[in-house]
Amino acid sequence: MRQYVLFVVLLVSCASGCAQSTTPAVQANFSREIASLWQDSGPATPQTAGTSDGLDVRLPLESQSVRFAVIGDSGTGEREQYEVAQKMEAYRKRVGFDFVIMLGDNIYGGHDPKDFTKKFEQPYQPLLDSGVKFYAALGNHDDPDIERLYKPFNMNGARYYTFKRGDVSFFVLDSNYMDPTQLGWIDQNLQNSKSKWKICYFHHPLYSNGKSHGPDLDLRAQLTPIFKRYGVNVVFSGHEHVYERLKPEDNIYYFILGNSGKLMTHDFRPAPEMEKGLDTDRGFMLVEISGDKLHFQTISRSGQTIDSGVVERQSTQSHSAAAGH
Amino acid sequence: MLFGRIHLAGAIVFAVIAISLAVSQTQAAAPPNQDDAIQKDFGSRVAKYLSLRKKQAGSSPKPTESSAKLAESRRGMAAKTHAARPYAKQGDIFTPEISAYFRRQLAACLAGPNGAKIRASLRHAEPTPGFTPRVNEGYPQGEPLQSTPPTLLLNLPKLPKELQYRIIGRDFVLYDTAPNVIVDLIPGAIPAS
Repeated sequence: MRQYVLFVVLLVSCASGCAQSTTPAVQANFSREIASLWQDSGPATPQTAGTSDGLDVRLPLESQSVRFAVIGDSGTGEREQYEVAQKMEAYRKRVGFDFVIMLGDNIYGGHDPKDFTKKFEQPYQPLLDSGVKFYAALGNHDDPDIERLYKPFNMNGARYYTFKRGDVSFFVLDSNYMDPTQLGWIDQNLQNSKSKWKICYFHHPLYSNGKSHGPDLDLRAQLTPIFKRYGVNVVFSGHEHVYERLKPEDNIYYFILGNSGKLMTHDFRPAPEMEKGLDTDRGFMLVEISGDKLHFQTISRSGQTIDSGVVERQSTQSHSAAAGH
Repeated sequence: MLFGRIHLAGAIVFAVIAISLAVSQTQAAAPPNQDDAIQKDFGSRVAKYLSLRKKQAGSSPKPTESSAKLAESRRGMAAKTHAARPYAKQGDIFTPEISAYFRRQLAACLAGPNGAKIRASLRHAEPTPGFTPRVNEGYPQGEPLQSTPPTLLLNLPKLPKELQYRIIGRDFVLYDTAPNVIVDLIPGAIPAS
């Protein structure tokens, strides 16, 4: 009996010793598994208790954190877009995000002044009035030469650009037209970036389990080597009119959010790469970055939290390992 | 002795086939110096167009809060660009020699190691829009843009930032984004899969 106990103790201490000597890359993967487990149950302390608005907030709301919302394929001007926008405003009052990233297809159809009013200015009026800034990427339904010059989209006249908040750098790409000049630009800017977090966003997804479009393989072949080389942490895309969180590819987290206005119901093909998906309602995301953690919460038009979790910032070593360097 | 003759005949047949294959490949792909001349001609035609457009129709306005101003500016630029080249026709920039060069480049890309990915990217985009592109006309409002696969762009002559290569169905288009004008096009340039 004593021998058996001794054997168990030895086994446990050996296992803990192994865990301590794990490489950073493995630790990052280990954190991801926790995130995967966590996303169904939510954080330990959902921020609903004692609040009158009844909103389910699963972000830690730490001081000095970077908080933003994510929308994609939003600009329909239809009732559902307005309902998502109302929900965003309700959450803004609680969460206090001060900017929104737009993943393209910001204005569907015509691009006359009435379209900008109906498909952007009116639905997001409360957010705009509160000083929330929108940073747009171009989709295939957008008019590049009008939208890049439209000041409320904060593109400063460029098809692709970068901006920074705290320790987070955002790289906004035009995936409609990824010419050699733009590839050189993203290579150079990622290389020069000293930010802790590097987030890229653009319209066409590199990975997707949606049936209507699927992944853009040629774009993937050009961009992923650059992303791996310079340690991109997270990539957001739209185009597929669903929400999907994928298992990390090459140590990079990929999210698709293309259902803030449009929706393609029952669009998914079963795939082991999918961590979580929604193809039956519209929605938006909330993100909070604090230190080495990125917290996310995806909320449907009806106000349900359909996904939430935390992403641990990948270490440089783990990125190097993924890039094969 | 008989086997020796058969081997010799076989070697001659093989050599003839190899030489004729090499000759046909040389004929299909123009010599590099000829391609250089074609690219130079293309570059100077593009520069001439852009200079005319900038002189007659101006350039994009500065960013503004007013979508009405942007729409008005776009309409004005389009009208002036049309007026500056009222007799513009297909082939003004994509001459037969330049078109043949682009067709060769596109075909080589699509037949190359990345061809399957490029085709997948083209299928991944929106379906072919319901219109036929015409020189000196605009891209219709509301029609989605087909993204141009990056590997194709890596193998085509570089353009000034104001112009883009676009694919509409199987047509290959030179597009001026600011006034929304199709400058020229090569019909059916994308080989059928």
